[in-house]
Amino acid sequence: MPAPTDAPDPAAVDALERARVRLRAAQAICAAEPQASFENVWHTLILLEESPVDRLNRSLARGRATAIQR
Amino acid sequence: MDAPPPFSDREIAFLDALVDEGVDFLVVGLAAAALQGAPAVTQDVDLWLRDLTDPRFYRALQRIGAFYIAPTHSTPPLIGGAGTELFDIVVHMHGLGSFEQEASTAIRINVGRAEIPVLPLSRIIESKKATGRPKDLSILPALEDALRTQEHRHER
Repeated sequence: MPAPTDAPDPAAVDALERARVRLRAAQAICAAEPQASFENVWHTLILLEESPVDRLNRSLARGRATAIQR
Repeated sequence: MDAPPPFSDREIAFLDALVDEGVDFLVVGLAAAALQGAPAVTQDVDLWLRDLTDPRFYRALQRIGAFYIAPTHSTPPLIGGAGTELFDIVVHMHGLGSFEQEASTAIRINVGRAEIPVLPLSRIIESKKATGRPKDLSILPALEDALRTQEHRHER
């Protein structure tokens, strides 16, 4: 029997759960460090889930895009 | 179609060559911060070399078909050739200790085959503060928040 079309995508479910865990972590860090920016903490937590080379490539790709826009 | 990543096999081959030849170097600046998870944007990868006259440095360049351009009164030391375009050479870091002192606290990060020495985020912050340049000061909040985030993760 084919799966119902409205079945949740496992990858999306996994991403949602990871986002919930990350959100709780970011909230805890910001509660302990009131001077911290939520956006900086949130993006750092996302980047820490990636490999170092992927983090560097994100940084360089954005740097290149910024230079082109100037 | 997605553009190829800026930092790919050619750049990794250069770092591999530096490590294989035993060159004393550190990845510094915002590329080092990005490797450690800081949400920082950069256009280049700064390499702090202990000794620009080290023959091992020239051997590493030769291995990947690259070359060295010595500094002049108006230009810094440069490298050129395949796989080196993203890299800038640094011989001094503002507000930090000697190369040997900073290298002793370097962290090791896996990039491709090699583990490369990287200046810790706390030291990158010190160097950015020391320059006093507006562009360096403007990135400090993001670097400091990344360091706070790292420290809290390590506490868990």
